[in-house]
Formats: sequence, C-alpha cells, structure tokens
Amino acid sequence: MGSQLALKSRIHSTESLAKIFNAQEMIASSHIAKARDVALNAKPYTDAIFDAVQALVAHTHITHPIAVRDEHNPRVAVLALTSDRGMAGPYTSSIIRETEMLLARLEADGKQPELFVYGRRGSTYYKYRNRDIAATWEGDTDQPGVEIAETISNTLMDAYMKPADKGGVSELYIVYTEFINMVVQKVRVLRMLPVEIVENETPDRAPESEIPVDDVTPLYAFEPSLDEVLDAILPKYIQSRIHECLLTAAASETASRQNAMHTATDNARSLIDDLTRQLNASRQASITQELTEIIGSADALNKEEE
Amino acid sequence: MAESAKTTMKVNIVAADHPVWHGEATSVTIPAYEGGMGILPDHEPVLTVIKSGTVTVVEPDNDRHMFEVTDGFIAFDSNKLTVAVERGRDVKYSTTEEQ
Repeated sequence: MGSQLALKSRIHSTESLAKIFNAQEMIASSHIAKARDVALNAKPYTDAIFDAVQALVAHTHITHPIAVRDEHNPRVAVLALTSDRGMAGPYTSSIIRETEMLLARLEADGKQPELFVYGRRGSTYYKYRNRDIAATWEGDTDQPGVEIAETISNTLMDAYMKPADKGGVSELYIVYTEFINMVVQKVRVLRMLPVEIVENETPDRAPESEIPVDDVTPLYAFEPSLDEVLDAILPKYIQSRIHECLLTAAASETASRQNAMHTATDNARSLIDDLTRQLNASRQASITQELTEIIGSADALNKEEE
Repeated sequence: MAESAKTTMKVNIVAADHPVWHGEATSVTIPAYEGGMGILPDHEPVLTVIKSGTVTVVEPDNDRHMFEVTDGFIAFDSNKLTVAVERGRDVKYSTTEEQ
C-alpha cells in the first residue's frame, strides 16, 4: 500500500530528526556548564572594576564625557545581541522585535538611531531587508571571549567619543537577553552610555565582606591624576559591562536552545507515536479489506457450486 | 613568620576572563604609570593606572612570583591589593633556594 510506505518513510525521517534534536539538546546542556564557568571566571574582574568606579564616584562629581550626555546630538547607537545559529526557539526573534520597538520609540522621540548587530541571525535579518547597519560582528555568540567584547566596545566607544558633527552618537542602548534561570530568559534594553553610576545600581555585586558595609570608602590617592585614571578606567568599565551583557546573552541563547530542542524532541516523539498509530490503522484496514475480499470471493464461489 | 599583623597583605590579581592569582604577600612591585612602584602592607589607599609589564609578588616565605600583565589598574585599600588587567599570566615562580 502506498500510504503505508509513505507513513513508514515519514516515521523514519521524523526519527532521524528526533535524534538530531536530542543531540542538539545535549550539546546545549553541556555548553551551559561552560557558559556558567566563563561567567564565574569573569566576575572577579567585573567586581574589581565596579569597586574602582564606585571609589571614583565617591570622590568626585564626574564630568567626564562618558558620564555626561550631549543634549544637542540626536544620533544614538543601538546594539542588538542576537545569535549566530538558529534552533534556539524565539531567542533571536524576540531580540529583533524588541529592537524594532526601541528603534520606533527613539525615532518618535526625534532621535536618529544607528544600528549595531552582533550575531549572524540578526545581521542577515537586517541585511535581507536592506536596512542600514552601522556595523556587525559575527562568531562565538554562544561563548564570547574578551576579544570580541574588546572589539565591540572599542567600536562603540569610538562612535561615542567622536564629535557630533563627525557622526558621533550621544547615547548607547544595548538590547540583550538576560539569563534569569534555565526556563526564563528576559529581553532587556539597557542604556549603557552615558554611564549612570548610581551607588546601588547593582546591589548583588556589592563589595565582598572584607569591607564592612557601614565603612566609609577609603580616601584614595589617584595616580597619575584623577582625570587620567578616569580616562583609563571608564572605557574598561564599559568593556566589562559589554562583556557581561555578551556572557549573559550567551547563557540565555544556550538555555533557549536547550529548551527549544527539548520541546522539538518531545514533539518529534509524539509525532512518531501518531504516525505509528496511523500506520497500524492503515495496515489493519488493508488486512481487513483483503480478508473481506477473500471471504467475499469464497462465498461467491460456494454459491456458484450450490 | 612571627611578626605582628600587617606585615602581609591580601593580593588578588584578576584578568578580564579569569582570576590569575590570589594570596598573601609581603610586597608587590607593579609597572605603574611612571615606572615601577612598590607596594608594602598598609600602603595608603591608592588607585593607579598600570602599563603592561611584570608584576612581582613576594610571598611571606620570600618566594617570588612573577606575572606578565597587559594594561589595567590597581586598587589598594583596607590592606587589600587588587590588580585588574585585560590579560595576565603566571610566568615565573622562584623559591628562596633558587635565588
């Protein structure tokens, strides 16, 4: 029977798909552990920079360009963190949706957004639609290293530090996915520049217990000078914040991929069950039909003999 | 070492993607902005920019520990030294006997 053959081949192909999904799921879950290690390894540095910036803020009223917005420049930069590969469920599409909403909002406010994209899926999406993209980066979205964070932050810092009449931007927004847990990841829009350094901006990264909480921050000496220290540390702070965003986005991507692949595996299995039932039913139907035909023709023969 | 407190300080060297080393030290030399800078326990709180070079840590038992670092900064407060650099690696470890 043709339909039986067709069903068999569909079952077969679904089975091999299920194997692929299952393998992808297992790869993703092994990457999660790695992503967590990378994030943990980067944390001491992030904490050190954060403490240093806190110390700087405690001392001075920062008037560095990084902390002060240029009100007269309508150009703003938007960085969207998407993934390189698909099969990650709604990961990239929700980033793109949020980015579009942000762009529309910024345009409504009379600003001119410039788009920066990290991740192949995002950049092909915008290139296919012939949208203007200021810069794109690809590669290693599931395990971003310091190098890529450095490249991205250098480009963005250049754009930010350039004077307005030479195409500089006055603000930087990052659209990324925050990793809350294995099941929940949230798309967030973060205004990275100009820096808003609020004392308790991220309470979870407060200094370690070595420094008593009620202790006054020690009076630092800055060498060679406060301005030069600011010049050196603020770009590093930005870079480490960007790296942090990349890492949390990578963890979200992996988790999202694992979830998507888990659902896909389950779906493929239930599809196989359904198809097997259909195959059995169709085989049974053909057997019944054959039997009916045999019995019918035997009856007919018997009648003729009578 | 039977000396009073504050002859050693806590040192924590971190690179952007991994912690490099942490422990106790009696003195640390860093490649500061204007040449080498030695830091002893109970130094005044300082935050300074460093160039790429070598950080030398002298441990309480006089072992010397060298680290190659790129540019970054150091912060010293509450007898705790934090060296934060882009990239850093352990290059040489020599014990007292070898010197």
